[in-house]
Amino acid sequence: MLACLCTVLWHLPAVPALNRTGDPGPGPSIQKTYDLTRYLEHQLRSLAGTYLNYLGPPFNEPDFNPPRLGADTLPRATVNLEVWRSLNDKLRLTQNYEAYSHLLCYLRGLNRQAATAELRRSLAHFCTSLQGLLGSIAGVMATLGYPLPQPLPGTEPTWTPGPAHSDFLQKMDDFWLLKELQTWLWRSAKDFNRLKKKMQPPAAAVTLHLEAHGF
Amino acid sequence: MSVLQSWLVQALFIFLITGSIGELIDPCGHISPESPVVQLGSNFTAVCVLKEDCMDYYHVNANFIVWKISHFTIPKEQYTIINKTAASVTLTDVASLNTQLICNILTFGQLEQNVYGITLISGLPPEKPKNLNCIVNEGRKMKCYWDPGRETYLETNFTLKSEWATEKFADCKTKRDTPTSCTVDYSPVYFVNMEVWVEAENALGKVTSDHINFDPVDKVKPNAPHNLSVSNSEELSSILKLTWINSNMKNVIRLKYDIQYRTKGASTWSQIPPEDTASTRSSFTVQDLKPFTEYVFRIRCMKEDGKGFWSDWSEEASGITYEDRPSKAPSFWYKIDPSHTHGYRSVQLMWKTLPPFEANGKILGYEVTLTRWKSRLQNYTVNDSKLTVNLTNDRYIATLTARNAVGRSDASVLTIPACDFQGYLAESKCYLITVTPVYADGPGSPESVKAYLKQAPPSKGPTVRTKKVGKNEAVLEWDQLPVDVQNGFIRNYTIFYRTNIGNETAVNVDSSHTEYTLSSLTSDTLYMVRMAAYTDEGGKDGPEFTFTTPKFAQGEIEAIVVPVCLAFLLTTLLGVLFCFNKRDLIKKHIWPNVPDPSKSHIAQWSPHTPPRHNFNSKDQMYSDGNFTDVSVVEIEANDKKAFPEDLKTLELFKKEKVSTEGHSSGIGGSSCMSSSRPSISSSDENESAQNTSSTVQYSTVVHSGYRHQVPSVQVFSRSESTQPLLDSEERPEDLQLVDNVDGSDGILPRQQYFKQNCSQHETSQDISHFERSNQVSSVNEEDFVRLKQQQISGISQSCGSGQMKMFQEVSAADAFGPGTEGQGERFKTAGMEAVLDEGMPKSYLPQTVRQGGYMPQ
Repeated sequence: MLACLCTVLWHLPAVPALNRTGDPGPGPSIQKTYDLTRYLEHQLRSLAGTYLNYLGPPFNEPDFNPPRLGADTLPRATVNLEVWRSLNDKLRLTQNYEAYSHLLCYLRGLNRQAATAELRRSLAHFCTSLQGLLGSIAGVMATLGYPLPQPLPGTEPTWTPGPAHSDFLQKMDDFWLLKELQTWLWRSAKDFNRLKKKMQPPAAAVTLHLEAHGF
Repeated sequence: MSVLQSWLVQALFIFLITGSIGELIDPCGHISPESPVVQLGSNFTAVCVLKEDCMDYYHVNANFIVWKISHFTIPKEQYTIINKTAASVTLTDVASLNTQLICNILTFGQLEQNVYGITLISGLPPEKPKNLNCIVNEGRKMKCYWDPGRETYLETNFTLKSEWATEKFADCKTKRDTPTSCTVDYSPVYFVNMEVWVEAENALGKVTSDHINFDPVDKVKPNAPHNLSVSNSEELSSILKLTWINSNMKNVIRLKYDIQYRTKGASTWSQIPPEDTASTRSSFTVQDLKPFTEYVFRIRCMKEDGKGFWSDWSEEASGITYEDRPSKAPSFWYKIDPSHTHGYRSVQLMWKTLPPFEANGKILGYEVTLTRWKSRLQNYTVNDSKLTVNLTNDRYIATLTARNAVGRSDASVLTIPACDFQGYLAESKCYLITVTPVYADGPGSPESVKAYLKQAPPSKGPTVRTKKVGKNEAVLEWDQLPVDVQNGFIRNYTIFYRTNIGNETAVNVDSSHTEYTLSSLTSDTLYMVRMAAYTDEGGKDGPEFTFTTPKFAQGEIEAIVVPVCLAFLLTTLLGVLFCFNKRDLIKKHIWPNVPDPSKSHIAQWSPHTPPRHNFNSKDQMYSDGNFTDVSVVEIEANDKKAFPEDLKTLELFKKEKVSTEGHSSGIGGSSCMSSSRPSISSSDENESAQNTSSTVQYSTVVHSGYRHQVPSVQVFSRSESTQPLLDSEERPEDLQLVDNVDGSDGILPRQQYFKQNCSQHETSQDISHFERSNQVSSVNEEDFVRLKQQQISGISQSCGSGQMKMFQEVSAADAFGPGTEGQGERFKTAGMEAVLDEGMPKSYLPQTVRQGGYMPQ
């Protein structure tokens, strides 16, 4: 028993999950990304409030819940729970990355339209932050060895305030963009929380293993 | 004149310079480089190139060039003529920061004509900026700062660069007045690591600092908590509760706090233990405060993990702890008005107001009670700090308590003595006089002294007793006299002691002692001791005490007895050891081997006696009738120390052997059941018998008898004839022989046993076998005796296979011992093999059985 314990201890440095002195692994960057989603969520809450006020009624009314019209190009954050659960790490991260890539593009369009300087500043900062989130997700994917999704040239989303859009529909799009962004940030927080927990178990397993030997 | 010339030159130079700038006048030449920046301490070379037309005009060439620096002519040695039109000058170790270098030509009449001038700017290249760090003031943009290193004397630009892994941010260029810090243009994004570095650049070079990589959230300096408020608790007077509003950073990061407090007016701050405030919160209760005290608080916060910066201190807020009951009673005293009326006196009670730290609140009033001897209380409630009452001349007890909103203090008690106190002092009584000073603001610390009106000798002397009595000394002790009998201050004691017959000796002892040691006493003597105590007025003897000094000091007897016992023990031990070492010699001298007649088996091998050898019955075998069989008898008689007493021992042994029926072994322990003692005797027999020629002879006889199965009559008769030779006197020559043997054992027994065995067995192999086993058993047993007689009974009884090794050792030793009989040796060796082969040593018992089995031969 003692010999077994000693062997396990001897081989501990070889356990990759514990040998993080050189390479910190994806853990810290996932944690950071999680924190960032929470931070952005918090940031968006005040930004959306300001922006919806800027849009004016009925968009700034708390119970305003319009049908999703003309916002089909926006990536949807809502997904079946079972499907969400069954996502693998790569797919989960890819979906996040793609979603924010698109959302960021739309958001930059929003920025151009915003009227007040203060709102533009807020939007600009939020865009920068969202850019940071994208970089963070890319970093996590790189750490885990996943390739970044290459956007196809044709599918590059563009914000085209076409003449077909009435002012109201335009505002509706803005409303849905913010709403979808909010939902995505909620989802991402869950995604990264899940990833974070998933990255911890190896160390716990070794501890358990040791205990089993110790007793 | 020279001053004038200098002025002239300068004016011309200025004119020329302005001319060159304004290009109003075409200069006569030019200097290259045009606007040099030179590193301090380095060398610099400038070239002055003259124009052809100018040269022609003035009739000069490069040789006429004169260099001047700050109006001083540079020595010619530093010039180098490059060609007709150009000459250079080299300045070594440029030290001044801004100098003017002018190229002149010496024209006709030694007149210096300015050609061109440049300003030489010198300085240093920038050093690598160090200690780059950034701070994010909450709600503001990130500011980074660094240590720019040494002064460059040149205009140096610092550029702060920052980037994400995926994106670069705009450079931050320092402002001229703040070259050591830069505030970036963008709001930092928390939780995304960024890389920041600074570049320093001037005319002499460009250098980049180390890059730092950090998450801006780890560089945050939060806003200070605001709206700090303090509230107290009516339940607990030692706490104050702080509440505040956190900065908005609490939504992003978790905070820890640093709370400091001090009493109002104090200068130093006390610190709340950091571990108590290590998590985000918006209130805190400070404990262990003093009641009814105003405290000032301030608070700051920072990121919980300690990364980042402490916020500024919040605005100070103060609060007062709730009241507690007064912690101490006010001290008070009284003043009696001397002009008292008949039967009454006016007494003024006064006290001091409690200081705030004892009052623990606002004092609402004082309560005074006055109690006359065995009468009821008189209560007064006073707001002032004094009270005047009219009292009778009796003794009063006054108490005072202070009261605040929470409760009242403990009472302080004062005795107001009866009016007619003075004039009753008795003589020879001890009085304690206490004086308490009364200052304007209250009483001071009292001082006491003991005094007698008049002293007298003690009414009793001290009782002395012994604490410890030694041979030459005695420790006396006594108790201090009770105050009642002292009648004065005891100044000293005198101890009187005497023997029954001797003179009395007196010793004076200081009054502070209660113990004294009398020394140089005589041992074993009766002493009488008494003691007197003296005051200033005389002394008084106490009762007499007698004691006797002991004859020996403590431990003296032990000191004598113990070494004697030890010496005795040691001697005995040495004696025993000596005896043990020389036991063979001693044995020879004191208890020589005596042959045991009961072992005689001579008749066994007599063809006429077989019916007598019923081996199934040992009783019969060792019965007296068998004595005739023992041929060894005569050998025993050979022992030179066969004195009569030894013979007695011998007899004893003999008897014992006879009596140990079933256990004794006449054939030297051939039986497993043999006891040790017969074995010893039998082995001793062997010893003494080994050189006996008669036995040798005898064995030969037996041997042949065995071989031929025809016992020799001659031998037989001789054997019988030895029987009467038990007396040692008859064979004096054998004594000497034994002497020569010198304790070498193991040979003779073989012969003896061989003899015996011969009488019992038909074949030589069997004989040797038996001889072997017998010998082994006997020698073996002796060996055990030597080995401190361990396991004697075990061996003799079990004779297990465990003894195998011992057998081998013993027999080997025996085989190569100083034996004289080759024949014996030979048999021994054969016997050993036989034993080993047949596994006989495993048990003695089968031997006996076999022996018995062979008997019928």
